[in-house]
Amino acid sequence: MKMEEMRLSGPDNTKLEALMQDIYSELVEDACLGLCFEVHRAVKQGYFFLDETDQESMKEFEIVDQPGVDIFGQVFNQWKNKECECPNCRRLIAASRFAPHLEKCLGMGRNSSRIASRRLASNNNMSKSESDQEDNDDVNDNDWSYGAEKKAKKRKSDKNQNSPRRSKSLKHKNGELGSSIASESYKYNYNTGISYESLGPDEVRSLLTTQCGVISEHTKKMCTRPALPDAELESSSFDIPDGPSLMSRLQWEDSSDISPADSASSKASANHSDSRRPKKKKRPALGLSSAGGSGGLAEGGGGMGGSQSNLSLMTKKKKPKISAAFISSIYDDMN
Amino acid sequence: MSKDYQLRAAINQKLIEMGERERLKELLRAKLVECGWKDQLKAHCKDVIREKGLDHVTVEDLVTDVTPKGRGSARLKHNSRGVSVCVCVSVSTLCLLFSPLQLSYRTA
Repeated sequence: MKMEEMRLSGPDNTKLEALMQDIYSELVEDACLGLCFEVHRAVKQGYFFLDETDQESMKEFEIVDQPGVDIFGQVFNQWKNKECECPNCRRLIAASRFAPHLEKCLGMGRNSSRIASRRLASNNNMSKSESDQEDNDDVNDNDWSYGAEKKAKKRKSDKNQNSPRRSKSLKHKNGELGSSIASESYKYNYNTGISYESLGPDEVRSLLTTQCGVISEHTKKMCTRPALPDAELESSSFDIPDGPSLMSRLQWEDSSDISPADSASSKASANHSDSRRPKKKKRPALGLSSAGGSGGLAEGGGGMGGSQSNLSLMTKKKKPKISAAFISSIYDDMN
Repeated sequence: MSKDYQLRAAINQKLIEMGERERLKELLRAKLVECGWKDQLKAHCKDVIREKGLDHVTVEDLVTDVTPKGRGSARLKHNSRGVSVCVCVSVSTLCLLFSPLQLSYRTA
């Protein structure tokens, strides 16, 4: 069979080619006819000459083919070196930098608010660190703590402007203010208006018997953790020997500095808390309402009475940097 | 020669049935557009129409004017060779199917 085919294909080659040519021409003619029908329809429907206009316009929009110029005839770098005057600050800005400059200058756009808030924050930090140096004077104490609180409050509100947590924190604030007993173990009081200076002794007493009352150094907030019913605390667990003398000392009226002898005091407190941590003894809240109006004392009260367990638990859970300034000051007295 | 004709008819029919003819047609059209044959021919049509007057053009005019030119230029286009090769291939494979016919033709 194959041999026959081979023999056949030889002489039929030309025929095959002719056949092929015929079929091909048929296909080409089909294509031509298709084109004719298309053109005729376009003519009769009236859209055949739509892509043409009068000669003038045709000349005007002709495709340009010169070097250094695009097909519309425009030069590429034409406005690169020009300068524009900013309507806001009246400066001359380079054209390519004009839009970002305008964004920042007018205070609109995505980045400008971010930059502004960052700048404010850094300014706050700068001024805060400056005021820290002035802190040794007792005279400036009230002003400083109040100012720091104000700044901290401002900073906090600044930060949380756009965050989704803002409403959550507001809710939190409203709910937490009055509650003494809480299901959650650890909360902060957002109302920084409470400072121990402003409260009277009775109020402080009532406050500290129900709540922990420690004021965080960083955020200046008071811990609203409920004071736990404690077992007796071994006195040996304390490094400080005398209870009553301690109490007498705690009855200070004037505000001791909540001074951020930070590194020193925090180290001291850290050491103490470390030593106390394994001993989870609890102590009934001492009548530390006698602790005067000072924040430091309240801290002391909180640390002491609210018990070391609170302190240790606190350091465990969230580790606020409680400046146990009172501890160091107590040591100073005893030494 | 009628056999020849028969052969041709049979091949055509086979091509249509298989859908090969359609495929070849589309291929050819694409190639012609690509190489600009279609635009050339359209420009020629425009001339004819302007000549004859827009309202009086008929299909027959166009066809009779345009088709021979089209046919001729298509043959000259390089790209159409690809199509003709395809046509050749498909036709020859079909021819093998019909070789008994040819055989009978030869012997006749």
